[in-house]
Amino acid sequence: MMYDYFSSIVTGITAKLEQDPQGIHARKRYALAVATLGRRLYSGDARIAWCGVTAPFDLLNSMGVTSCFVEFVGAMLASTETAELFMQGAEDAGYAADSCAYHRAVTGAMLKSAMPVPDFIIGTSSPCTAGLAVMENMAKQYNRDLFVVNVPQSESPDAVRFLARQIEEMAGFVGDHTGQALSRNRLGEALELTNEATVLIKEIYGLAKQKPSPVDSRFLNNFGVVITLFMGTREGVDICRGFRDELRHRVATNAMDASQERIRLMWVQNRIQFPFPLESMLAEYGAKIVVDELNDVTWEPMDPDNPFESIARRILSIPFSRNADARVTHLQTLAREYQIDGAINPCHWGCRQGTGLRGIISNGLKEIGVPVLNLEIDCVDSRNLAEGQIHTRFEAFTEMIQG
Amino acid sequence: MYFLGIDIGSLSCDAVLIDEAKNVVSSSVVPTGVRNLEAIARVTKDVLEQSGISEGDIAAIISTGYGRTRVENRDGAVTEITCHAKGIQEVIPGTRVLIDIGGQDSKAIHIGENGNVLDFAMNDKCAAGTGRFLEAMARALEVDILDLGDLDRGAESDLVLSSMCTVFAESEVVSLIANGTEQREIARGMNRAIASRTFSLVKRVAREIDGLTISMSGGVALNSGVVRALRESLKTDTIHIPEKPDTIGALGAALIARERKA
Repeated sequence: MMYDYFSSIVTGITAKLEQDPQGIHARKRYALAVATLGRRLYSGDARIAWCGVTAPFDLLNSMGVTSCFVEFVGAMLASTETAELFMQGAEDAGYAADSCAYHRAVTGAMLKSAMPVPDFIIGTSSPCTAGLAVMENMAKQYNRDLFVVNVPQSESPDAVRFLARQIEEMAGFVGDHTGQALSRNRLGEALELTNEATVLIKEIYGLAKQKPSPVDSRFLNNFGVVITLFMGTREGVDICRGFRDELRHRVATNAMDASQERIRLMWVQNRIQFPFPLESMLAEYGAKIVVDELNDVTWEPMDPDNPFESIARRILSIPFSRNADARVTHLQTLAREYQIDGAINPCHWGCRQGTGLRGIISNGLKEIGVPVLNLEIDCVDSRNLAEGQIHTRFEAFTEMIQG
Repeated sequence: MYFLGIDIGSLSCDAVLIDEAKNVVSSSVVPTGVRNLEAIARVTKDVLEQSGISEGDIAAIISTGYGRTRVENRDGAVTEITCHAKGIQEVIPGTRVLIDIGGQDSKAIHIGENGNVLDFAMNDKCAAGTGRFLEAMARALEVDILDLGDLDRGAESDLVLSSMCTVFAESEVVSLIANGTEQREIARGMNRAIASRTFSLVKRVAREIDGLTISMSGGVALNSGVVRALRESLKTDTIHIPEKPDTIGALGAALIARERKA
């Protein structure tokens, strides 16, 4: 079923792109790459690893493993409005209905045999331990080996060494399961591609910072977290170049509509994944999202001669891997760089990162004069979201900002 | 020239008509019911009949409340957060924290010195602690909702309803009655539960409330038991209640209509 679904998306987007082969169509090409990845995951032909969000996908790509974080499946099921069936399945099996719906959907999909069976599993303790629990369940369910990467909440030299050693061990674990040892040459090439893509990503974010911003609320939706899946590949570089080119084109043609940007917003953590008129709702009030918390580059270029330490430093630099202060400082930096007027924190139900730091994030942003709209919504389970209530809160928030 | 504000809430539909000098000329509150267009027509008719003016004399109409987009001849729609903040400043100037508990939502609004909304927080996941909750509790206690406010007089226990889910709380009340708990103690427990929940909303928008003028609007402000429990919870001697707390949103809407026409 899922293979057919992804295949139909691939066919549909390809046909549309063929109508205008010279066009940039960054978002369509990105959607095509994501659908192609989905198709590969469900093809039965690929060597698959289910992973935690902060797993080193460039390393895994260099070893010929089709790898993906499990939350991708939760988001994908939500976006296709099929998550409810699987979440219900998980709840029927005893999983709490107020636990994270990304993981509930994945668990339900696993229980209903709607997940591709992995060759092995790589869990990460960052950004959340709920995801790790899903990995443990998955390892039991599929009787597959699980390698857990423990990410310390520190960037100290000891922490870097500790994590670098685990990444190296992880590469050995992958090699044991694929029968192909890590090639340092291939890894080096992959990290060079990561660096090439990262330069483009930095340019994308630099362009998005302009006032008025050439991005609309949807343009970079989910970009920062999903693009990691394509790191270390030529495809990843091409996707990033497409986004960069489209923004350059928008700037060059003065395509930004300043009247649509009376209020510049930052979205904290994940977006709402199921069909929801977020962008049009905000546009009604002249507001748009110019930056997402997850869209940033917080690491230095990868060093192909020192790959494991480089990867470790990258993982440790991600604010979600660190403590509350680091996350607040990062949000404050984004708020200043993007000159935002307000921030929206969805406080995703059942999420430690989403709800646990709500007060600290609010206070941190208020300290620098940025008002925060705290919602209590479920970004995956549409059953837990009342559109009218959200509408009122957005409207009141924009009224408040405009005084 | 006159200005009309209409607040279409889940339980009641309110209208306030003001003149150019911001005097309230007439007002009306009716149950919203299941056909809110009829309620809107009725409050409009009421305020016109009371004031003796014709519809043509109304220079602008602003609607608010969850049904704000249902007012067809409106000049604009503004959220209840902004309208309540505007309305309370008119009747209780200097209000810095406004608690508004309506039919299906409760909110705390932090208001700046210039009357602008600085922050707000609303109940998100359920209608516990709102007018709907009180309706259910009145039903469980077999009293008229208008008598609920004085029901806790003389109660002294530390009972707090443990569940704030409206349905579970109703079951809990039934159990307490079955166990012989006095009605007044149950009422106090219910009021304290609402106060506790509201306290959290207030603290979310204003960490320090000492010295701030706190007011309350919305129909639940007419319930003296809830107000008493809130005073205890917020450790304040005074929570200012306007004369007609249930029409503050409509008043704010009328004031905004006047400003926009100026």
